[in-house]
Amino acid sequence: MIRFDNVGLRYGSGPEILRDVTFHVHPGSFHFLTGPSGAGKTSLLRLLFMSLRPSRGLIFVFGENLADLPPAGRAALRRRIGIVFQDFRLLDHLTTWENVALPLRVMGQTESDYADDVTDLLHWVGLGNRIHAYPETLSGGEKQRAAIARAVIGRPELLLADEPTGNVDPAIGNRLLRLFVELNRLGTSVIIATHDYALMDQLEAPRLMLHEGQLQVGAPQMGAR
Amino acid sequence: MSFLSDIKDYPWTSLLAGILPARIAARLPERFQAPSSQIVPPASVAGRALTVVIAIMTFLACLTAGGVYMVHQSASAWVDDIASEITIELNPLNTTDVEKKMTLVALFLAKQPGVTRVKPMSADDSAKLLEPWLGSTAALSALPVPRLIAVEIDRSNPPDMKVIENALNQNFEGVTLDDHRRWQSEIKTITRSTALGGIVVLGLVAAATIAVIISATRSAMATNRGIIEVLHFVGANDRFISSEFERHFLGLGVRAGLVGALAAAVTFLLLPFLLHLLGGGAVTEAETRRLLGTGELDIWGYLLLVVIVVVVAALCTITSRLGVFRVLKSYA
Repeated sequence: MIRFDNVGLRYGSGPEILRDVTFHVHPGSFHFLTGPSGAGKTSLLRLLFMSLRPSRGLIFVFGENLADLPPAGRAALRRRIGIVFQDFRLLDHLTTWENVALPLRVMGQTESDYADDVTDLLHWVGLGNRIHAYPETLSGGEKQRAAIARAVIGRPELLLADEPTGNVDPAIGNRLLRLFVELNRLGTSVIIATHDYALMDQLEAPRLMLHEGQLQVGAPQMGAR
Repeated sequence: MSFLSDIKDYPWTSLLAGILPARIAARLPERFQAPSSQIVPPASVAGRALTVVIAIMTFLACLTAGGVYMVHQSASAWVDDIASEITIELNPLNTTDVEKKMTLVALFLAKQPGVTRVKPMSADDSAKLLEPWLGSTAALSALPVPRLIAVEIDRSNPPDMKVIENALNQNFEGVTLDDHRRWQSEIKTITRSTALGGIVVLGLVAAATIAVIISATRSAMATNRGIIEVLHFVGANDRFISSEFERHFLGLGVRAGLVGALAAAVTFLLLPFLLHLLGGGAVTEAETRRLLGTGELDIWGYLLLVVIVVVVAALCTITSRLGVFRVLKSYA
């Protein structure tokens, strides 16, 4: 599903943020991407959702070499990927419901087709009473959940999440993790970037560990710290 | 065909809300309100200043097109008029009995094949023709003002002008024939020049509109860069993003176009009165009327204003589309 071959990344003429990153993500897998702050987790995720181009190496997403992909092809691939940003990226002039429905609207679905799904999902993530609220009135945790709901509403084949539980209390964090696990059981590959060891310890999943720009693939572990 | 689908899908009922000031628009029934869930906020694309600029451009385009149309109509009517007439000019100098000579010439002309009507003009009629330039004065009667005979010809079976001219020269002294060809040629030259000038002005207005829309598109995209990024991340292609901007520019074009065209229509409605009020005296008024006719625009002229609104709306939409694609290409 995803393959990185000796990928390197540098911003401008600065030092390499990522060096010789090589790994595979298989369909239906669940990975944690971890490492200290500044290790390059967000940059790696940005490479995955095609927001950055690597300085060297090859990236294959759904079998497509991103170096050869035209912009139209990138849009088609992104529809198969759900993304949760660390800074949420909700659109302030749309309600919570409209934000969550955005990927389906972009796919060309009609509102009557997805209205119930969006409402049900918002209830599930605990935002049933904030459906018509605008993002600026939501708390950090509520924005986080709205962003997650937007990422998963289209049942993506790959879910990328950058610190998805960073702004929520442990109970909501566990609930969101269950949502990710449930999606994974339904066939979605999941990569969660986090340095929340408590979260990682709850699930036996391989850990992609970034340290000083280099990646090590750790074996699945649970409760180890 | 996407332009047509944009037109079909556009929330037309909300246009009224876009034209009216916000306080009044808020009191309109819900179906006339602008949809609240547009992905790109309308206010971030088409501000009031941009609407005013496009409205002024449309107003200028409508005035130019309407003016050219009016001149063309007036000139066509004039050419038609003078093409079916010839004028015989009788020099009163060295003629003892001008009235008798006028009658003889008129009788001679009436007998010619292809002539349908002969109308000798009295000395008073000739003086009236000079009134706009010389005024109403008794001194005119003392001047050797040429006498005129208006001759209507059958345009389907016109007479041979050369034959008539030769016959007049042989039988009457001091009589000349004017078949108005020089006038027709000059009117056509003036009409073509006016049309060309109008096309140049329309071209400049279109160029200015395109430049304004390109600038507005870039500005709107810079303002909404965050929204564009989110749209990209949720899988929107350039066509989808472009349509979100286009619908605002289509609305802007229609709103501003209607305001500009309406203002131009009111100007044309008031033009006959304005010509009278601002005529600046009999001569200027007479000349302006010769150029513009009565100053009234007919139904086809008003339809031309509607066409200009459509063109302005299309120009806004297509320019913004090309602009959005260009900026998106630079983002890639």
